[in-house]
Amino acid sequence: MASTSFSPYKTASGFLLPSIHSAPPFFTQQPNLSTQITHTAHWTRLILSYARHRQLFLLRVEDAETSGSNWDEILKNERINRKLLPTHLSFILADMVSKNLAIYEPVRQTRSVLLYWRTPEEWAEVLHGWADSTGQLNTILTFYDIVEPPVPSPLVGLPLTMLRKAIAILAKTSRAQTIAVADGEGVRFLSGNTTR
Amino acid sequence: MHRLGGVGLAAFERQQQSQRSFNELSNEISQAQVQHLHSQLDQFRTALLGFASTHRESIRKDPAFRLAFQRMCSTIGVDPLAGPRKGGWWAEVLNLGDWQYELGVQIVDVCVSTRERNGGLIEMGELVRLVSKLRAVDEGTITEEDVVRSIKTLRPLGAGYEVIDVGGGKKMVRSVVKELDADQAVVLAIAQEESGRVSEEMLMARKGWTPERAKAALENMLLRDGLAWLDAQDEANGVAYWIPSAMHWDE
Repeated sequence: MASTSFSPYKTASGFLLPSIHSAPPFFTQQPNLSTQITHTAHWTRLILSYARHRQLFLLRVEDAETSGSNWDEILKNERINRKLLPTHLSFILADMVSKNLAIYEPVRQTRSVLLYWRTPEEWAEVLHGWADSTGQLNTILTFYDIVEPPVPSPLVGLPLTMLRKAIAILAKTSRAQTIAVADGEGVRFLSGNTTR
Repeated sequence: MHRLGGVGLAAFERQQQSQRSFNELSNEISQAQVQHLHSQLDQFRTALLGFASTHRESIRKDPAFRLAFQRMCSTIGVDPLAGPRKGGWWAEVLNLGDWQYELGVQIVDVCVSTRERNGGLIEMGELVRLVSKLRAVDEGTITEEDVVRSIKTLRPLGAGYEVIDVGGGKKMVRSVVKELDADQAVVLAIAQEESGRVSEEMLMARKGWTPERAKAALENMLLRDGLAWLDAQDEANGVAYWIPSAMHWDE
């Protein structure tokens, strides 16, 4: 009869959706616990790899409620007329937070998360590597200089919460120093003794 | 006594003599027979070796040839797989034992790696396809019969691998120890025809089941066995069930 097969699909933004994304039940929260565990694992992987692909940091429950969000390509599948429901997304986000793959941002609410497709430790390395390779060690930089640099960098758009965490990690090994500057916060990166 | 060879010591001697002669003769004859048998066996062995080394590639590569060879073996009462541990020359010569065990390992590999998605039940065609992909051989090089035979060799492991006939010429391979009841077999068969999607309405319309029976069978597969996934956004019926092992996945 109908011989549908479930295949990977390339989105308009060039992201390759896994074949499970074309399966209608993937968009329903599963009552069977072990099935839901594997589906949540698939969703988590999908969300993080898509975020990395598009350099997205924040995911909100309301992204599943409205149209036109950055996340439409994965939260919806118009080819099979399915979408992830807000309650289901909220469940997945809670699971990601519990596994330290995201944190609620801002704190004390559960409708928006900051995604850890890189951990703060990894961001710390990226940050230090960037300062080093662009010859900005020992220079005082404002946070604005870092997340909106004149030359595109991997740090463009990095949320300040993540930036602060990364700087704090570098500060522990004396590879960064926070400094109060006139118009807010600043930082100076140092070569430090641990050159990893 | 008289008739046999006279009386006395001479007669006794003569009788002993003929006895010895008979023994010798009998020994000679059986020795000749054994030798003959040995030479026949040697010939047979040489012929087989010749056959095997000539056709080894064909046996390993060509499924039709392999099948014919296996049929021939079973006709003459020889098991081409007879243990690689003892009498292993046969398997060694053909390397077929290894081939079969290797296939077994790959079957386990596919079954285990797809288990989280299909609940431990995989459609035969899908299994053959994935195993072929794993071996990087063209489709058709490995047949269902090969898989069935390999699964038999897995039996001593007690892992519970089993080939299930779900009717309509469809077979599935089960890699978890789970009892399938008759209703579930029906659901599986319908799912096979429908690329995975089954609904209560379908079972009622096609099998004349009551709503309760249809619901119970599907809910069991969904909740108890993890063999089905729920779709609460189904256009036709509002709720549908999907059997991942009957869905065709392109990776």
